[in-house]
Amino acid sequence: MLRMTNLSKVYRTHMIETHALRGFEIEVKEGEFVTVTGPSGSGKTSFLNIAGLLEEFSSGEYILDGVNVKGLDDNQRSRLRNEKLGFIFQGFNLIPDLNLYDNVDVPLRYRGFNATERKKRIEDALAKVGLASRMKHYPAELSGGQQQRVAIARALAGTPKLLLADEPTGNLDTAMARGVMELLEEINAAGTTILMVTHDPELAVRTTRNVHIIDGQVSDLVRKGPTLVDTSTAATA
Amino acid sequence: MSAYYFKLGLRSLRRNPLLTALMVITLAVGVAASVSTLTILHMMSSDPIPQKSARLFVPLIDPDPLDNYTPGEKQDDIQITYQDAMNILKSGLGVRRTALYGVAGAVEPPRREIPPFNMGGLAPTRDFFAMFEVPFAYGQPWTEADEARGADVVVLSRQMAEKLFGDVNPVGRRLNLMGFPYTVVGVTEKWKMLPRVYLLQGGSPYSTGEEFFIPLATAVRHETQHNGGMSCSGNIGPGFAARLASDCTWITAWIEAASAGDRSEIQSWLDIYASQQRKLGRLKRNAPNRLFDVPGWMEYTGVVGKDAKLQTWLAFGFLALCLVNTIGLLLAKFSVRASEIGVRRALGASRAEIFRQFLIETVVVGLVGGVLGLLLAVGALKLIGMSGKAMANLAQMDWQMLGLTFVISVCAAVLAGLLPTWRACQVTPAIQLKSQ
Amino acid sequence: MEIRPIFSALMRNKTGPILVALQVALSLAILANALHIVNERRDIMGRPSGMADEHAVFRINVRTLGNETPEQQLADIKRQTEVLRSVSGVAAVAQVSQMPLSTSGSNTSLALDPRQSKESAVGSVYVSGDSLIKTFGLKLVDGRDFLAPELVDVNEATENVYPPGVIITQPLAEKLWPGASAVGKTMYFGTGPEAQPTRIIGVVENLISAHGEFNERAMHSVLIPQRAYGGGRGTLYAVRAEPAQRDRVMKEAETALRKSSALPLILDLTTTDEDRSNKYRGTVTVSWMLVTVSLLLLVVTCCGIVGMASLWVTQRRKQIGVRRALGARKIDVLRYFIVENFMITSAGVFGGVALGLALNQLLVSKLEMTRLPGGYLIAGAVVFWLLGIAASYGPAWRAASISPATATRSV
Repeated sequence: MLRMTNLSKVYRTHMIETHALRGFEIEVKEGEFVTVTGPSGSGKTSFLNIAGLLEEFSSGEYILDGVNVKGLDDNQRSRLRNEKLGFIFQGFNLIPDLNLYDNVDVPLRYRGFNATERKKRIEDALAKVGLASRMKHYPAELSGGQQQRVAIARALAGTPKLLLADEPTGNLDTAMARGVMELLEEINAAGTTILMVTHDPELAVRTTRNVHIIDGQVSDLVRKGPTLVDTSTAATA
Repeated sequence: MSAYYFKLGLRSLRRNPLLTALMVITLAVGVAASVSTLTILHMMSSDPIPQKSARLFVPLIDPDPLDNYTPGEKQDDIQITYQDAMNILKSGLGVRRTALYGVAGAVEPPRREIPPFNMGGLAPTRDFFAMFEVPFAYGQPWTEADEARGADVVVLSRQMAEKLFGDVNPVGRRLNLMGFPYTVVGVTEKWKMLPRVYLLQGGSPYSTGEEFFIPLATAVRHETQHNGGMSCSGNIGPGFAARLASDCTWITAWIEAASAGDRSEIQSWLDIYASQQRKLGRLKRNAPNRLFDVPGWMEYTGVVGKDAKLQTWLAFGFLALCLVNTIGLLLAKFSVRASEIGVRRALGASRAEIFRQFLIETVVVGLVGGVLGLLLAVGALKLIGMSGKAMANLAQMDWQMLGLTFVISVCAAVLAGLLPTWRACQVTPAIQLKSQ
Repeated sequence: MEIRPIFSALMRNKTGPILVALQVALSLAILANALHIVNERRDIMGRPSGMADEHAVFRINVRTLGNETPEQQLADIKRQTEVLRSVSGVAAVAQVSQMPLSTSGSNTSLALDPRQSKESAVGSVYVSGDSLIKTFGLKLVDGRDFLAPELVDVNEATENVYPPGVIITQPLAEKLWPGASAVGKTMYFGTGPEAQPTRIIGVVENLISAHGEFNERAMHSVLIPQRAYGGGRGTLYAVRAEPAQRDRVMKEAETALRKSSALPLILDLTTTDEDRSNKYRGTVTVSWMLVTVSLLLLVVTCCGIVGMASLWVTQRRKQIGVRRALGARKIDVLRYFIVENFMITSAGVFGGVALGLALNQLLVSKLEMTRLPGGYLIAGAVVFWLLGIAASYGPAWRAASISPATATRSV
């Protein structure tokens, strides 16, 4: 599904060079549910941004669903994002001036579906997250957990191949967080690959695979049973 | 607290110079346009003789025949006939009366170096000077005896006296005017009356005044042509005498009453007089006899041109636009300070305090805009004044208008600031303190 | 095209859009009316005088110091006319009672039938004992010019003579006898039993009145074949110089007149160009003011649109990043902002059309202005639509440049 080889990302500002990712290697197969953990400043966000085609990388190779990302221009990347990826953010990032229906509609409009197709997808997506009855409501009228579920519906409406989630439960209480995780697990069971960045070790434990990033490099941990086996190929810093 | 807010206001202006400049300039331009047009309108329509304007009256009697008459329509003439003017003079109404018409004549200067030239003047009766409080630099108005026999006497304006005789007192000197030797009996001081309401027919009531005055009786005796307008209906015989006897209108009469309340008395006299004249076969139209005080006369004759009003409306429309623009800019300016407001509220400021702070900020904007607006307005008036003598007299900023500039500017700013300030108060402390 | 969601989003945050729309509406309303007035004034100032090459024409007012008898004045007129004719470069001279656009002159009431109670028209009266057609360079379109025997001398001090025949302007002929030839027809000076009849001898294409009124009266003039003297005023001469020689001819004419007179004369020479510019000076000032304010209106409104659009882009940075993350291309973001601005401008334009009509109604009723033709509002609408798009382009471009990574950043 997703493969990064020897990827690096350098931020340059005036006098300072920051290496966010160094010699980064990762491969995610279709259908996997991968959590990405690491301390703050480790490069988790940069990794997610690059994986999500939100940022360019400085060197290395990134192949997404068979497409080599390197030569793509902005329009092509946008198209790729629109068709293959779904995003879920920590701060929900719903558009406050649009109701739930219109919020889920946003990526579908860019896809170019006609009105009937869009209507069907939106209704299905909202039904899947259990909020079909509140289609005309506005985000401000919903609780945090409900808003996140709408964000998930928005991510799903385009039937993406890969779902990228950035701390999706970070702003939710434990009960809501559990609800969202269960929803994500359902979606993964139905065949969507999920890549989730999280702080919470409890959540990391629930998934089959956990990738740990420290100082811009991967420390891959695959869960096989209750013990952790370190299969990283690069030495930890 | 207010002084503190004032200082804060000044400081905040400096913080975002581009936004500030835009706001102040927009407001200043709107204020300048409004103030300059308003100044001209103010000068055009201001009461030229406020201490008396309610008890100076102009009578209007319509002598025209029935042809071309639709009852109720506005009269074309604003002057009256010689007969009616003389009868009014003899009536003894009010404290004093005068009748006058504009004249022009050739003058032969006593100094040979200056070639003969034309002067514009007025032929009133002697009560004119007292009625309109004309100041004298030398001498005085002609005597009643002079007036009775239509003597060749003249009162000059200060400017004309200096041009003809130099900087000396010319009273008693002779002057060749309109072909006859006149004796100078007085010189009027520089005297500004805008508009020169006593004679609104012909010429500009806003340009510099008459250069000479001769008695009405003298002008009539010399058969001096009118330098203004005359309106005649029907056939008039040739010659000046026929004109005096006719129903041509070419003279204006004024009556000074003891008080404004005497108006009804004068009106009754007019009506009785008119019915007497009708019995003699005149005044066939039987139109209402009008009586106007000075403000009423200015309005009836439309002294304040439509163009002046148009310009003022336009300028205020433009100010309205600038105001709406400023609302937007103030909204932007205040909205970026939401976190500051949240912090202030958290630290104990009440809604009212926030309101006061930001309102004072808008006042600061208004004052700065007012200063710039004043400079622009003065410049604009100078520019407008260049287009002609009459305009130059009108395009003068006085203290009243200066004060009004700041009042308009601050009021506009405050009005524009009401919505943004109210919005600023609505900021809840809690939400703004969250980092997101 | 996502029109409905853009519209709903706008409705949720009405204040900013309303302010912009209001600015557009105010500007459009004022601009349309202002430009209409400017154009009207321009048309009035551009009215032809009816004289050929009016730059070559000037007038001389002659006054003497003393009081001449009417006979002396007549002799002076004849002598001075000859003196002027003999100045080199003078093409024609006419002693005349008034000059076009000089704001000094007389009008007379005219009627078709003496039994009328209301006048049919008002004519500006040009009295001359010489050929005005020749001196003014008027174009004769019907009938003929006056013949020498018809040009009589009239002593205004002793006689009141009405001319048996007159020449009138074509607009006046059209008004009195629409569609027919006026030559040979009878017209009356004044109304009622004392009205004096006269016959139309000729019709000239046009001659503007002395007062240059801002309505049809300015085109109604009457030429009377009389050399009038003894009226107690000075004498007025109209002089036509050869093309491009006017200024020199003026100087020489002045010298020649002074030399020819034993008594000192007061001479006032003014060109028709000066008369025209004096007449319209006030109108020019108002027109300039209207144009200046119109330009300022456009500038202020443009700044307002740019400012507001920039502010919204800044306020919605995060939202724009999210849209990009969700797959919007740069052009999608650009289009969103331009469409949004277009909607707001359109609301402003519609409001402006209504406001403009209302403003015009106010001007018509309170200041006696004329009705606004629809073309001005339509043209104004187009101008503001274009202005809106142009003004919002910059901020929209900035919005499109926002990186999709903004979506994931926490601040």
